[in-house]
This record gives sequence, C-alpha cells and structure tokens, in this order.
Amino acid sequence: MINFQYLRASVVKIALSLVSKDPKATFIAGGTNLIDLMKRGVTAPEKLIDINKLPLAQIELKNNVLHIGAMVSNSALAEDSIVKEQFPLLALALQSGASAQLRNVATVGGNMMQRTRCGYFYDTTMPCNKRQPGTGCGAIGGYNRMHAIFGTSESCIAVHPSDMCVGLVALDAQVVIANAKGERKISFADFHRLPGSTPEKDNNLQKGELIVRLEIPTNNLYKNFHYLKVRDRSSYAFALVSVAAALEISQGIIKNARLAMGGVAHKPWRLVEAENFLKGKTANASNFEDAARIAMYGAKGFGENDFKLKLAPNSIIEALTVAKAKA
Amino acid sequence: MLNNDIRQSLLLFKPTMAELDNNQSGDTRRDFLKKSSLFTALSLTPLTVLKAAEGKVDERFAELFEKIPLNLKVNNKPYVLKVEPRATLLDLLREQLHLTGTKKGCDHGQCGACTVHVDGKRVNSCLSLAVMNEGKSITTIEGLAKGDELHPMQAAFIKHDGFQCGYCTPGQIMSAVACVREGHANSKEEIREYMSGNICRCGAYPNIVDAIQEVKEKGTAI
Amino acid sequence: MNFFVDENDRVDGIDKVTGKAKYFAEYQLPGLTYGVLVTSSITKGKITGIDTKAAKNAPGVLDVLSHLNKPVAPGYEQAGGSPMKIFYTDEIFFNGQPIALVVADSFERATYAASLVKVSYEKSAFNTDFVKSINNPSAKKLQGQPPYVRGTADAYKTAEVKIEQIYTMPIETHNPMELHGIIADWRTNDQVTVYAKTQGVKAAQATIANVFKIPQENIQVKSEFVGGGFGMALKTWPVEIATVMASKHLKRPVKLVITRDQMFTMVGNRPSAYQKVGLGATKDGKITGITHTAFGQTSVYENFTEGVVNMTKFMYDSDNVNTNYYVVPLDLSVPIWMRGPGEATGAFALESAIDEMAHALDMDPLEFRMKNDPEQDPQKKLPFSSKNIKEAYKLGSAKVGWSNRKNKPGSITEGAWQIGYGVSIGVFNASRGRATVKGILKADGTLVLQSATSDIGPGTGTGMVLIASKLMNIPVEKISFELGDSSLPPAPSQGGSTTLSTVGTAVNDVCVSLKSTIAELAANANMSTTANFVEVLKKNNLPMIEVTKQSQANQQGKEYSMYSFSIHFVQVKVHKLTGVVKVSKIVSVGDSGKIISPKTARSQMVGGAVGGIGMALTEEALLDNRYGKYVNNNFADYHVPVHADVPEIDVIFIDKPDYIVNPMGAKGMGEIALIGFAGAVANAVFNATGKRIRSLPITPDKVLEA
Repeated sequence: MINFQYLRASVVKIALSLVSKDPKATFIAGGTNLIDLMKRGVTAPEKLIDINKLPLAQIELKNNVLHIGAMVSNSALAEDSIVKEQFPLLALALQSGASAQLRNVATVGGNMMQRTRCGYFYDTTMPCNKRQPGTGCGAIGGYNRMHAIFGTSESCIAVHPSDMCVGLVALDAQVVIANAKGERKISFADFHRLPGSTPEKDNNLQKGELIVRLEIPTNNLYKNFHYLKVRDRSSYAFALVSVAAALEISQGIIKNARLAMGGVAHKPWRLVEAENFLKGKTANASNFEDAARIAMYGAKGFGENDFKLKLAPNSIIEALTVAKAKA
Repeated sequence: MLNNDIRQSLLLFKPTMAELDNNQSGDTRRDFLKKSSLFTALSLTPLTVLKAAEGKVDERFAELFEKIPLNLKVNNKPYVLKVEPRATLLDLLREQLHLTGTKKGCDHGQCGACTVHVDGKRVNSCLSLAVMNEGKSITTIEGLAKGDELHPMQAAFIKHDGFQCGYCTPGQIMSAVACVREGHANSKEEIREYMSGNICRCGAYPNIVDAIQEVKEKGTAI
Repeated sequence: MNFFVDENDRVDGIDKVTGKAKYFAEYQLPGLTYGVLVTSSITKGKITGIDTKAAKNAPGVLDVLSHLNKPVAPGYEQAGGSPMKIFYTDEIFFNGQPIALVVADSFERATYAASLVKVSYEKSAFNTDFVKSINNPSAKKLQGQPPYVRGTADAYKTAEVKIEQIYTMPIETHNPMELHGIIADWRTNDQVTVYAKTQGVKAAQATIANVFKIPQENIQVKSEFVGGGFGMALKTWPVEIATVMASKHLKRPVKLVITRDQMFTMVGNRPSAYQKVGLGATKDGKITGITHTAFGQTSVYENFTEGVVNMTKFMYDSDNVNTNYYVVPLDLSVPIWMRGPGEATGAFALESAIDEMAHALDMDPLEFRMKNDPEQDPQKKLPFSSKNIKEAYKLGSAKVGWSNRKNKPGSITEGAWQIGYGVSIGVFNASRGRATVKGILKADGTLVLQSATSDIGPGTGTGMVLIASKLMNIPVEKISFELGDSSLPPAPSQGGSTTLSTVGTAVNDVCVSLKSTIAELAANANMSTTANFVEVLKKNNLPMIEVTKQSQANQQGKEYSMYSFSIHFVQVKVHKLTGVVKVSKIVSVGDSGKIISPKTARSQMVGGAVGGIGMALTEEALLDNRYGKYVNNNFADYHVPVHADVPEIDVIFIDKPDYIVNPMGAKGMGEIALIGFAGAVANAVFNATGKRIRSLPITPDKVLEA
C-alpha cells in the first residue's frame, strides 16, 4: 500500500472540495471495504479524506419519513428502536451481513459503495473489466458460482454483495447526495447500475459527490416480512441468493408487496413485476409460486451458477411463506 | 544523502494534525513541500533536496513527511505517536506498541482474531487505519484483567476450555465481552450468530458458547 | 496467579486468555526487520528477469533477495533433493511460488516495496486440472502405494448385491488461525536462533542444519506457542529457509509472516481426491468383496502420498479386498498431511459406500456395520490391542436418538426441513515412537519436565503434567512441562496422534525412575519408603535430582494390531427449498484407551467434529484451471465453519486402558476426532432426503440439483 496522504474533514463542503479537486483522492468512512481493497492493490488512492467526523450520524423520523445519516453504522441502524419497530425488514437485512465487528464500523454510505466480491476483481493478476476495463471478464467461462443471473453483460457478471441494500431497495428508499451545487435526490433503485459496457462504474454517484443520507417513507410492511439469506455457511458469508420480502395482508388478501433479491445481479434486484402480480391476490402457496416464476423472467445462468435459476425462485417462495406466517 | 542540517530543518515542518485539518487545498505531499509558505523556512535547502522531494529520485527523503501525529489511549494508557497513515491499528498495536495479545489472522476482516474494543465497541483492528483512531480509547486483551484478577470472561474460557491453540482466543474473548454487553447473549443460538465473526480453526466453538452463556447468566457486570 | 478451577484446566490457559502467550511473530528483537514475499504470477516457466530498482529505492528497504543475489546455502548447492530450492532456481513450479523477499525496516514499507518488484517470465504450458487428468489416459499417474490384494481382486463384481460409485473431494487447506512464518536471527556467522511456527522443533533444526551446513547445536529453534497446525507445520517450508538466508545476508533479525492468501500456496494442503469404491455383499448383509481405487493430487516438483486406502484393508471383515492408490502430479504446490491425513479422505468414500450398501440391502447401517465388524485385524491377521467398537455403537446410538431414525430416506419432516441421521467410523494407527524427557525433582516441592516436543493446541503440557501428577502424587500446580525448544531433550514432531503416547511414555518412565531414586534415597537415610520426596531430598542434602529417560517405540507390533477408533453420529436438517444442510446434533464416541486429560481430550474430539463439518459442508479451495490459480484464497470465500454452523456436541469416551500401546493405557485421538465425520454427514443427508451426494462439500446447490 502506498503511503497515501491522510486528511480529516469535519464539514461536508470541505470534504467535497478536497475530493473533487484531486483525481487520486477518495473518501474513507468505516474503511472495512476500502482498506481491504487497498491492501490487495485493487485500488491505490493517494489521498484519503476521513469523513468520520462529518455530522451525518443521525437517525430521525420526520413527517413519516425516516432520515438515516450516511455515517450511521450498520449496527447502530440495525439496533435503532424506530428501525426495529417500523422497518424490521431493514434491521433483519443488516443483521444478515458481515459480522458484529464489521457492522460496528461499516457505515450506511460505505455499505452502498462497497465493491463486488468477485474473485477476479480482487486478484490483480487476473482479467477483470471492472477493475481494469478492457482486460476481459474472468468469471465468464471461469468460476462463476457466486455470480449474477440478471442484468448481466458481456463484460461483467459480478454481483453487488450488500444485504442492507436489498432491504433498502425493497423499502423504496431515496438517496440524498451532496455535491458542490447542493443536494440531489435519487431513488435507491436508481443508485446502483447494471454493468453494461462500463462495469467499472458500480453506481451513479459522480466524482466529487457524497451520499449524505437516506430517506425511507413509513409503510405498513412491518408485520409480514422476511429476509432470507442462503449461503454456504450459516453466518459470515456472502449470499448465494438473498430475498427481502414484505407483505401487507388484510383478511388474507395482499394489499401491498415488496420483493427484492441479493446475490443475483450487479445491483440490488427489485422484483416489481412479481410484486404487482401479488397485489390483490390471496396470500397462498400457489400465488407465491407464480410470483417466483414471474420474478425469474430474463434470468440466465453461466454454468456454475445455473443452480440459482432454481434456488432463486425457491428462496422467493420460502421468504414469502415465512413472511406470511409471521402474522 | 541528506546532511543533518537539512534533516533538522525538515523535521521542523512535519505537518501537525491541525495543519492537515486546515489543509483544504488538496495538495500532494510533494506539492505541500514546495508550497510557498514553506519556501522561506526551507531557504537553506539546496535545490537537490526539492528535487529529491519530487519523489522519483529518492523516496527516502519523502519519508520524513510521511508520519503524522496520533494520540490515543490503549488500555487506559495515553500514547503520543507518529505513524504512517497506512499503518493499521492492528500493526500499530503489535509492532510498535508491542501489545501482541491482539492477533493477525487474516488481515482482511475475515476472521476476528484482531478484535479489540474502540470506545467500547468491538472492531476488527486490521481494517482500521491507526490514524482513524485519533483521540479514541482502545481496549485490548492485555487490558481486560484487573491486575492479577482475571476478567470473568477470561476465567470462563479457562473453565470451559474455550480454546486449543489459543491464537483466536484474545479476539474471541474481546468479542464475547462485547456480545454480552450489547445484549446479544440471550440464547445459545443468538450467541452463535453474534460470535460468528470470530473464527476458531481448532473448533472450540461449543466451549466458547458455554463460557459466554455462563458469564451472561451469572449476571456479573462486565 | 493461580486460577485453576480444577486440575484438568490447561496449564497454559492463563497465558492464552490474557494475551501473554507468545507466538513466533511476537518476539521483540533489537534491530528486527520485516520480510515480504514476491510471488510468481505465472504457473509454469522460467524467471527471465527481476527488476528490483524501484523496490530498493523505496523508503526503509534494506535489500531484495532472490536467486540473483542469495547468500550461499551449501546444502542447496548440492544436487538432488526437491528441485524447489528457494532462491536456487529460476524455475516456476506453481502460481504464487515465492521468488523474492523484500526486507525493510517496517512491515508497511516492506509490503509496499514488494509491490514495486517487477518480474519477467518465459511461460510454459501447465496443467492444474485434477479430474481432467484422471480421465485423460496420457496424463501422468504415479503409484502412491503398492497395490493390495487379499483373496480375489474385484470380487464385488460377482456379489449378490453390489454397489460401485465414485466419490470426490476438493483441495482443503489447513489454514490454522496463525499465519505461517518465522523470525531468523544469526547471532554469529555460524549460529542462528529461529522463532518458528512448527510442529517439530528438532525437525526444523535438522532441516536448517542441512541447508546451511552448520552443526545442529548451533541452531536453536524456539516454538513455545503454536497457533494451530493441523499438519502444515510438520515441514520447514522454503519461505522459512528464505528468511533464514535473508537474516544471514543482512546480519539482522528478519521476520516473515505470510499472508492469508499465501497460506493457500506456500504451506501445503489436503489434496483433492477421486475415489472409486466397489462393494459386494450377500443378500443377508455379509460383505464379500471391497475394491477401493483412489487418486490424489501431488506436485510435479515433489511427491506426496498418504494413507487414503489404508482403512479399507482391515475395517470390515471381507475375504476379498483390493486397493490401488495413485497420485497425479500437477503444476500446483505440494500437499502435506492434514488432520486425519489420507484416512479422512478414504473414510468418506468407504463409509459412504457402506451406507449405500446398507440401503441397498434395506438394513440399518449400524446393524450392517456390526455384522461385518471383524474380531481380529483381517489385514495383519493379528488381534487388536483393544477395540470397543460395538460398545461405542451402542452408547453413541442411544445418545443421538438413533431409534428415531427411519430406514426409509425422507421419512421425517419438520416444517420446511427434512431430518436424517447418519453414522460413520474413523480409525487411525495408535503405535508410538521414541522420545526423551528430562525430569528435575526439586526440594522446593516442584517437578520440572522437559522435552523438545510441541503443542499446536491439543494440550501437550496439560496431558504430561497430569500423567506426572498422578504417578508422583504431586499437585498439578507444582509441575511444569517445558517444550517447544530444540535445546531440550529430543522428541519427535507432533503429528499422527502420537505425542501423548510417545512423550507420555517417557514422562512415565522418568516418573517411575524418580520414584525409585527417591525410595532408594529414603532407604539410605533410614526413612520410610513412602516418605515425601521433599523430606527425602532435604535429609539427603540434595537441592534436586535429575533423571533423563528415552522411551522406545512399542515392540508389540508383531503381536497386536494397534488402532484408535471413533464413531460419529449426526443428525442433520436439510431445507427442502434451499438445499441448506445444518448439522443439528453430534455425538462423537472415542475409543482411544484411557483418557488422561478429560477436558482437553473432549475439546480435541469437539474440534475434530467442527473440522468434519467443514470438510462435509463448506470447505473447498477452488482453482481456475485456465490460470492455475485459486479464486477463493481468503477466509471470506474459503468457508471454514463459524460459530453458527456448530451445534452442541456430545463426546463419549469408552475410557478403557490399552496397556499394550503404552503404560498409561492411552491412545491418540487427534486424527480419529475428524476421520469419518464427513461420511456421517453425507449419510445423514441421504437419510433425510434420499439424495446421495458423493462430492464434498455438500453445498446447497448440490443438494438442490441432486
């Protein structure tokens, strides 16, 4: 690791100006992914702007919208009483990720910014279009058991590794971004990108911009919910497939449904068609199965990850079944 | 290659933290050296030194600027240090402070052997830059016992044989103490989930869980 | 401090829970420098150039060592031996091969400088594909063991009921929690002290002596605390020699701690295996023939073999048994014994096949095993020194609730989970070797025991102290056992479950001798022969007496067959929709003679079961054969079990002494704790679901797609 320059910023504006001027500068928050990547030589910023002192660590409910500061730690968010009561799906997704130690340090903003865990991305001697555009994709035709089945491109089949983000996309979160001009707001679903021909871009945050908070509208999805994470060991592992499911059920009829998946795409994968199918239907096994089928439209395996074509719909059914049973 | 005078004059200008905080210009360290405000002080500096500072000729010169001040407490003892920004908290503890109870197991936040408490919270010290801990209070395994009196978790690990080789043990114990304090030790299942960030290759897991459960059930303030 | 809750606590427990225990990397030496390795980015070929200019210019760098500028190592100048003589070859044998060592005044600086070293190569074609090589007749295969035939070969083919199946296992890595490495410190031009991570301080001493051609006594190897080994620290690896070279070259102490990804390529692994088992039986369940053919992987530059088919030759009573074992040389780093070496691999195949046969016969697999349990060793035609398998079956099955098991697979369901039970057996050689122990009995009431053995975790010191305490009637806190230093009396490396038996016998002999000396001294001083040794020493004006004893390997190998046995029972839950397997109950029964140290013995069995869960369900080092590289060489992607994977584990010991093996009546258990476990899980998964997974690890995708 090069001996980078290290600066601390306690004001958002200063932090932004420090990074926007310098192409080799980057923000560091919890650092649990960035330091890992720097140790492996995947990235080598020459200047780190430590933003841990920025006043962005509040969680507040204002006018039926939950405001979450970008510097709130994953554990603080998962343990927050409002989150636990009104957004338990998010709490559950958070608890499914990483370990207690990492969640204590990892921030909301940092979690959104984390890079893929694809082995070819991490190994600087292997081809990877995301790490080094134009070198090819090692995972296509190689080891791709953990990889995407939705929204892939010829240049990249990596998945976004977050659990938190799967919960957030299901909850219709909004991302508030600060830049030199002020603030802009985009929907969480539009924050992360599909790889296309520019897999090096994970998301739509521009250089010189900073995530400052998330906003989640309150909802009635706190009773029948589940976050199912299927993985190779019982904890502390990335998802083969994960499902965030939440239902609003009234007298056996689904009023509102949210479904999203992790471990299947370059971004947290919201399943809008399956949600729309479920709305107005009876919450029963056969409708869950149909929803899972609809959710799988367009899925494509790459050999070693073909099993996800079966595991994913099964997991959707299981998550919906558990969510329904929670009443 | 530097003569002593130059070395001395450069030492005067090692940036302090406050200066760095106010340095909003985004300069690299080499630019920093060339900044006009410093030229007066460096008036004795021969051209060769500035040339060296541009980096390509002699990296050895630039190292004088590469350490920055760090103040923190470890096990209640205050330290005033100078560290390279790239040094992790783990390597600082082990290699510079010689507190080797905290272990390096993977160096990538994937095993928990390096778990310490930072301001009371358990973290992986391998994924924390030392300089990010300015003003913080660190507790390591060496700071857990009160003198000769073992911490109840340490005693419980001995009683339940919560280890074999002992290498993951400091991390397990630091994590276990935090697990109880956080309120995540209410059942064996919960303990297992919240301790899963600490890998034990010898496989002492059931014994560790028994130790944690006993400490939790005794209800002693830890 | 004395915090012993009871006498069975570990003697080094306090050191381990307070952080005082010092592992190799934790010795502070004046002028210590840090080594970081540069590794090959190609898989096979030659180094054509190493550009170290930038690295040497980086801050804090002392030098960059490689084959271009290494110091003379006379042992490496000679021809012969493994061609993988570090810094003495420009050949690349595997990807990730260490080729240069950057030494700097700090770890950070050495790490950065290592990234500046530029290496150029001439690449050659390579092969790392194990399964493909097995099916390719022109790919090289070496015989790993002479073929074994008892009765008729392939007799299973004509049996009334037969099964014939292929079982596969991927590469597993030891990955102890402590990263490998060494500190080397040349005190003079021909004297060196090393702080090592080793299972054998004497073996390390001998290796270094051979390479540097200096007398063994000029080399001190210290290794008091070892953060796990599981076999990988049985060898002094090339990277350790490189560090000793660097220290000699720089005349400074050099510390090397390799990275976790380097743990996959520099310090061995459990080789992948491809095994074909044919099993024949009569309709009423008598085995009539077993054929076991196994392939394992090895390296092109050094051969490695292990006892994959050993167990098949004597575990079951069959007149007809034949085995074959081959190794396939690949362009990968050389494997090394990993806990339960060979046998653990073989047991998965054999014990799965046994279960398949029981199912084919519609018999309870326990009943089938008992029916074919031999009274004497059918290979050696000798009686077992002790064997309590039937009792173990009985105790274990009662504890796990075997009576709840249904012979028809897929019969028990609990919500979305299917429940199943499985059993498997483990076995490992229980003979012992030669070791020397020195005992110093002091007039202050203490006893010091010394031997150059190791403790990689099982509790060597604890066991030895308990042996001595019982024999000498001295409380444990008055006895200390010194180990992990090559200057102590010689002992073999810690491996193959022999330490307690081998070193313990010498401790026993020392204690017997000390007691008789005390009795003599008492008689001389006209004291009662039962007088306390402190009084006897004082009366004789002796501050202490010393005894050194060398124990010998046991001589009864021609009269008895000596093995330790284990039976593993598991209950698993398999999720119908996701294919996730959870081990929900474990009962491991150890038939390993008298238990000397109950607490640490139990822990060893528990640890073996946890390792078994990893082998069965999660562990797999994955290669991309296009590049000859591992793609999951880290702890996030190579899944060793975590807390949440492990249920409560019941351990039962038969606890009957076997005095044929040694005077304590104790047999080793490090290996049997793991051997067989994976088979029990695979059998339980079948019982739960009717799906037979013959390829480890049993991950959700395999269950789902079966």
